[in-house]
Amino acid sequence: MKNLLFPLVIVLFFSTIATAQDIEYTVANIPAELKENANAVVRLDQKNIVIASRKSMITTTKSIVTVLNENGLSYMNLSEYFSGRERIKSIEAQFYNAFGKEIKKVKRKDFKENSVSGNSIISDGKILYYDYTPIEYPFTVVFSSETETSNTAFMPRWFPVPGFSVSVEKSNITIKVPSDLGFKYKEFNMLDNPNITKEVKSDGVSFTANNMVTYKAEEYSPSFDSYSPNVMMGLDFFNLEGVDGTAKSWAEMGKWFSDKILAGTSELPEETKVKIKALIGDEKDPLKKAKIVYGYVQEKVRYISIQEGIGGWRPMLAKDVDRLGYGDCKALTNYTKSLLDAVGVQSYYVRLYGDRNKKSVIPDLVSMQSNHVILAIPDKEKYVWLECTSQTLPFGFQGDFTDDRNALVLKPEGGEIVRTNVYETKDNTQITKGNYSVSDDGMISGKLEIKSKGIQYDKKLNINEKSVDDLKKIYKNYFSHINNLKIIKTDILNDKDNIEFTEKISLEAAGYANKTGDRLIFALNAYNPSSSVPQRYRNRTNPFEISRGFYDYDEVTIDLPKGFVIEAKPENTEIKSAFGDYKTEYVILNENQLIYKRTYQINSGQFDKKDYENFRKFKEQIAKNDNAKIALVKKQ
Amino acid sequence: MKKNLLTICFFLLTLSLYAQKKYELGKVTVEELNEKAHPKDSSAVAAILFKKGNTYFDYDSDGSWAAITEVVTKIKIYKKEGYAFATEQIPYYTGGKQVRLFFDDAVTYNLVGDKIEKTKLKSDGEFTEKVNENYSLKKITMPNVKEGSVIEYKYTIRTPYLTSLSDWYFQYPIPANFVEYKIAIPQYFNYSVFMKGYLAVSKKPSTILAGAARKFNELITIYSVENVKALKEESYVNNMENYTSMLQFELASTDLPNQGLKHYAADWESVVKNIYDDKDFGDELNYKSYFEKDLEPILKGITSREEKIKLIFDYVKTRMNWNEKYGYYCKTGVKKAYAEKVGNVAEINLMLVAMLRYAELKANPVLISTRSNGIAVSPNRTAYNYVIAGVELDNKQMVLLDATSKNALPNILPFRTLNWIGRMIRNDKTSIEVDLMPQNNSKEIVNVVAAIDEEGKVNGKIRGQYFDYNAYGFREIHLKKSKDKYLEELEKRYTGIEIDEYTTTNDNDLSKAMIETFSFVNTNLVERIGDKIYFSPLLHFARQDNPFKDEVREYPVDFMYPSQEKYSYTITIPKGYEVESMPAPLAVAMEGNIGIFKYNIVKTANQIQVTTQLDMNYPIIPPDFYYTLRDFYKKMVDKQNEKVVLKKV
Repeated sequence: MKNLLFPLVIVLFFSTIATAQDIEYTVANIPAELKENANAVVRLDQKNIVIASRKSMITTTKSIVTVLNENGLSYMNLSEYFSGRERIKSIEAQFYNAFGKEIKKVKRKDFKENSVSGNSIISDGKILYYDYTPIEYPFTVVFSSETETSNTAFMPRWFPVPGFSVSVEKSNITIKVPSDLGFKYKEFNMLDNPNITKEVKSDGVSFTANNMVTYKAEEYSPSFDSYSPNVMMGLDFFNLEGVDGTAKSWAEMGKWFSDKILAGTSELPEETKVKIKALIGDEKDPLKKAKIVYGYVQEKVRYISIQEGIGGWRPMLAKDVDRLGYGDCKALTNYTKSLLDAVGVQSYYVRLYGDRNKKSVIPDLVSMQSNHVILAIPDKEKYVWLECTSQTLPFGFQGDFTDDRNALVLKPEGGEIVRTNVYETKDNTQITKGNYSVSDDGMISGKLEIKSKGIQYDKKLNINEKSVDDLKKIYKNYFSHINNLKIIKTDILNDKDNIEFTEKISLEAAGYANKTGDRLIFALNAYNPSSSVPQRYRNRTNPFEISRGFYDYDEVTIDLPKGFVIEAKPENTEIKSAFGDYKTEYVILNENQLIYKRTYQINSGQFDKKDYENFRKFKEQIAKNDNAKIALVKKQ
Repeated sequence: MKKNLLTICFFLLTLSLYAQKKYELGKVTVEELNEKAHPKDSSAVAAILFKKGNTYFDYDSDGSWAAITEVVTKIKIYKKEGYAFATEQIPYYTGGKQVRLFFDDAVTYNLVGDKIEKTKLKSDGEFTEKVNENYSLKKITMPNVKEGSVIEYKYTIRTPYLTSLSDWYFQYPIPANFVEYKIAIPQYFNYSVFMKGYLAVSKKPSTILAGAARKFNELITIYSVENVKALKEESYVNNMENYTSMLQFELASTDLPNQGLKHYAADWESVVKNIYDDKDFGDELNYKSYFEKDLEPILKGITSREEKIKLIFDYVKTRMNWNEKYGYYCKTGVKKAYAEKVGNVAEINLMLVAMLRYAELKANPVLISTRSNGIAVSPNRTAYNYVIAGVELDNKQMVLLDATSKNALPNILPFRTLNWIGRMIRNDKTSIEVDLMPQNNSKEIVNVVAAIDEEGKVNGKIRGQYFDYNAYGFREIHLKKSKDKYLEELEKRYTGIEIDEYTTTNDNDLSKAMIETFSFVNTNLVERIGDKIYFSPLLHFARQDNPFKDEVREYPVDFMYPSQEKYSYTITIPKGYEVESMPAPLAVAMEGNIGIFKYNIVKTANQIQVTTQLDMNYPIIPPDFYYTLRDFYKKMVDKQNEKVVLKKV
């Protein structure tokens, strides 16, 4: 009896599997709403993470992705990263056509290995990938892998929807972890989402998302993680490149980092200490001392990226930086800190995200976050922040790479989350003053002076130290709305003490004023027109953000050609909105001279998607007003 | 004989003169360290004070030859932006016989007070990165670099690969005060030498020196150049490498003891013959069993050559998928590629040649160098990196085919292949040059019908037809995007326009023109100043600025293919207005019939009709014509922006 039954069971078992698979991979089974705006559909993304101990994390991945067209290829997900302490135990993939028929199968030996150094001089990061050429669309990739690492400091952040123009049938992540490691997680944008379920187990947690529709890439969108569902995870007790660590609180984690990772890296040669003390002289004020030290570091060192093993976290020794004159952000910050210690100025090592998008350390989940290091010097209740990788930034100036975000400040007593410096709208100024005259054949010639501060100063810094030839190119680009432009003279001044950038330009351009019969027509705002109008979306889907505000003021005196009279000129305008204010004024001094005044302010903020069209209209109106023309006619 | 001796003496004399100029490491002076800016180029962030290469040959105990190249470099750092030049990285091959690479004598010099401070590079400043199984990188980063530093280093590469020596560059992104390359070639080797670029590199008389310590004679040549300007990028350049001054060496023949005379490819004929003889090329052309039964029914009853070409080309394009790998050798082979429907350039296009031959057409492979590979200057196997198919018709007519792109057509090749000349190799291994540059102007015909209302709003419809390369580009670039994305881009490009009723026709029917139509609304095109209305009748198509802004131009302007754009506009003016003035017609031609622009305008009671035509008759315009080109564009842009003025009746 047994003998008879057994083969039957097997047969049944196999045939069920086969049918299930065919259905699974058949494109026809994808629900219509998931194909809308999608370049790829994740049929299944199954990630199982088993943490056996503080030093062992095994991740098993199975993903089934149907790629609908070539823009969806990036979601094939045919690779795994690895490095010293991470290894790939298995990796393979199969490919199926639209009807669920297998068309290709690849094993580990078919995957290729490459180093991923980016801009680093050295890195131990590697990637194992398979380079697939599709022979038809749509097709389905089944990818399976298993990786093991002793680094438990980083757990993946789960994004059920992995990006734009991709939808998801099912995505699941399941974590199994011993209870004594202090596993924790934080959910974002998942509240009330009926398509996502959570199952809390005695030994972990599991999240499942079903039928998630696509997100669209749109201008002015905030960062993807701020509106798409995701879960951050971490452990209280972890291992980082062979070093045990704790993250029960920021205070504790900061202390651990200082004691176990940074300790022993700050020693300096005696002669360097003597040298820096001599430079300080009798200076007593801590900030003035710090400014001298910062200047010394900026002259002495240069930035070079290094990413290898624990070296990805532990700075190069300060004495090596002293000897070699280079280092990465960790090394240069640690070196500056060591020099400040030597002259009795307190400073703190700060870990944060260096990112123009204001990426913040998430305070509610104590874990290893950050990709950059800066230095903080306490100044009463506030801090002065130093970007030690820069040879050019003024003392205490952060710019848009590290401003306005949560950072982990490592104090001797422990870590603390602190917000970095915020550049307020009214501090980000650009004041343009100048004049130009128009000749009767439409040529203009004039001079202007542009003074920039705050974030606008930061934007100007990259033209500092450019040659005259390069500057001419830069200004031809800046004034690209003026044809036949000739830059006569340029003069730039970077006032690092007052953090103000001054540009003086004289220019001329034939035919700026359009000659039509007896008339000359030209836009009065020759020096600072804003022409960019945000993209129109038939259906805006994402919220939008203006990450930094600014304030521009222009005042230009315009000399009109003799023998012409003003036939028509634009009216004074004032536009007020939640996004900012705009005002223009045309003051006629006499029949050949007028003054153009313009105030333009953009406010930072987070806005709802329904306000986007108003914002677009606001910018459009400004573009229109900035292009408003005057018509002169020859006196009869 | 006496005369010969004299030359040698003279030569030795010049050599010793060089030595006096102190182009050697370890001779850094206070003046050099004090120099604040490059005397001839104040914008230079760094400069090469000198760079010298020295290549010689040697053989191991086992009798295998190697080429050793020693490079010494001395660099002055003027500004912080020049710090990048304090890091050097050299790639080397690790996928076969051993290639050795090492750095030494790496030192940074600084001026401390009035003393010269030396900091040597130690092993902690040296890194090796294994990029993949075939290549590694050795990198050094110099210690203690500041503004004003002078850095020096030397590296040596020893390679057993002798067919192509490393290219030697005379031009860099920073100025170079002196660049020299010396090569000593043993009597057993004969190399062909190719010089590319615009610099006047001097060549010292080649001399045979009897080997004193060595057991063979050598032919020594020294190339040098002084005061080389920094290489600067320009827009509309196909590949800067084409204009960079450099030397290339190709092994022509060897006559080693006991091995006899052996010829290598050092002219184009033998390069292509060698390629043809390789089993991954020539043999792959001979297989046909794999496709016969599929092709037979398709070709049944077809007699016309054009029809055969079209059917076979379409068949290969439909069946095969390019894996984006370049090369003229097959990797997996045509049979496997055919079965898997995926192949590299060679597999796809050699298969195509084989099928065309099977159909009794005079088809042959054409070796080419893609735009990214630069122009094939010296005959060597790396000069080419790609292969397409060519069919010879009567009276020297040629049809070129590349089946790697689904949107290609006979004689419409992917843009990557439009790079001067290729070489067709026939069955009998003779070869001829093939001009790859498109001869006919690719057309673009656009019709605009629009109406302006009293509020200044413009409503209209547009129909655009794109032919040849314009159609290829449209399908290849725009059709691959989602429609939404493309429309967003269009709306972005033409500020203020709102597009509706968008359609495309002939997306996949490549034999017909690519057509797009849409209606639009734009409130930004018309200006109402006082009680008058001003607008450019070219509406949003009026080019806002001259793309040629630079006052000087070093390199040719590359348009890729000749073109003709014809636009016609019919614009209805608002009720209650009449035309007060309008731009005058214009026709401008560039010298030598390079470009022509015509602008015609007429008015009726309530309409304005404009036609414009722009012909650019050459794919590439030499820098000598830059000023006329810039001026031509200026006149065109000015005219396009001239306004029609309407006044109230």
